Amino acid sequence: MRQYFKVGITLALICAVAATALAFVNHVTKEKIATYEESVVLDAYSEVSAGFTVGELIVPTDEMVSEYHPLTDSSGNVSGYIVMLNANGYGGEMTIMASYGIDGEVLGAKLLGNSETPGLGKKAESKTYMEKFVGTGSVGPIPVKKSELSKADAESIGGATVTFSGIAKALAYGSDYVKNLGVK
Amino acid sequence: MGQSHVKEFTKGIFKENPTFIIMLGLCPTLGVTTQVVNAIGMGAGVLFVLLFSNIFISLLKNIIPSSVRIPSYIVIIASFVTIVELVMHAFAPSIFEALGVYLPLIVVNCIILGRAEAFANKNTVIDSILDALGMGIGFTLALLLIAALREGLGAGTWTLFAIGSFDGVVEIPILNQYPLRIMTLAAGALLLMGFLKAFFNWKTARNKG
Repeated sequence: MRQYFKVGITLALICAVAATALAFVNHVTKEKIATYEESVVLDAYSEVSAGFTVGELIVPTDEMVSEYHPLTDSSGNVSGYIVMLNANGYGGEMTIMASYGIDGEVLGAKLLGNSETPGLGKKAESKTYMEKFVGTGSVGPIPVKKSELSKADAESIGGATVTFSGIAKALAYGSDYVKNLGVK
Repeated sequence: MGQSHVKEFTKGIFKENPTFIIMLGLCPTLGVTTQVVNAIGMGAGVLFVLLFSNIFISLLKNIIPSSVRIPSYIVIIASFVTIVELVMHAFAPSIFEALGVYLPLIVVNCIILGRAEAFANKNTVIDSILDALGMGIGFTLALLLIAALREGLGAGTWTLFAIGSFDGVVEIPILNQYPLRIMTLAAGALLLMGFLKAFFNWKTARNKG
């Protein structure tokens, strides 16, 4: 009995010291981490908002759209939406922030949370990757297959076809979603 | 520093290299070596955790009861991994994002638990520090070699840290025009690992003979 008690106390002491050390490191780093996380979202908003003002957050009940914000011009008219889309890539779930005009035209997009392969699917995080979708979704359809891309754009997706397909399908869904929203 | 101390340090780099000779921690090795910068980040993370877990396990070897030594090691290792995660997230967020799931998985990296069980709980603090440094550097060098070959052949680039106007990407002429894409994929990692293992086996056999 005494032996079990000694073992239990030793293990509890090790855990207590570890928890204290972690609490200290968390205290030192938490503000810096919170600032970084906030800056990632703010950067994404300013990158995709296309010069419009980002309105209030609206949370719909849709599997692929987790939230959206109306975009308003200088006179306060709704000119489009920023939509947070859930997509599936090679490494699992991906989160995409995309902005659309009222007519469903892609104004800008940014890949946020993802577990894509570094050097392949991860390239979708770059600014230039999303340029192939900008301007589509209204007059011309959003390209969802590699064959629908120009040669240079097809080369830019490299060996990451699954990532491209996941992003393209999510963007196309977002475009349709925004068309249905219209001006609310 | 005596000859035995030097031996404790150098064995992890060449003779008992954790990746090519003992073949431990292969999952993160194959997972993160798609870019050189990931290899540096992962290597530094493992080196830090290995060093401090070896120090503390060696210090506590007479206090930790044998029946609960593995849970105790895991608590110590997991604490240092969490410290690395928090510090990287706060001060090197781009490496934190790139390493993704492999960073928390350092907890179950066989090299760290292996060195705790096979070395640190039987040896002095000084020897444990040298063992950790040797094994950590050996692991980092192995990751760097695999990543340099995989990224170089597979993408024609070497991605390092971005400093100022330098975006961190070194383009390799010719290879960047004709990349062997398979090298950046899982199959390429296994193929390359096979060739490197064969090379190290040949070298070990030649040294013995």
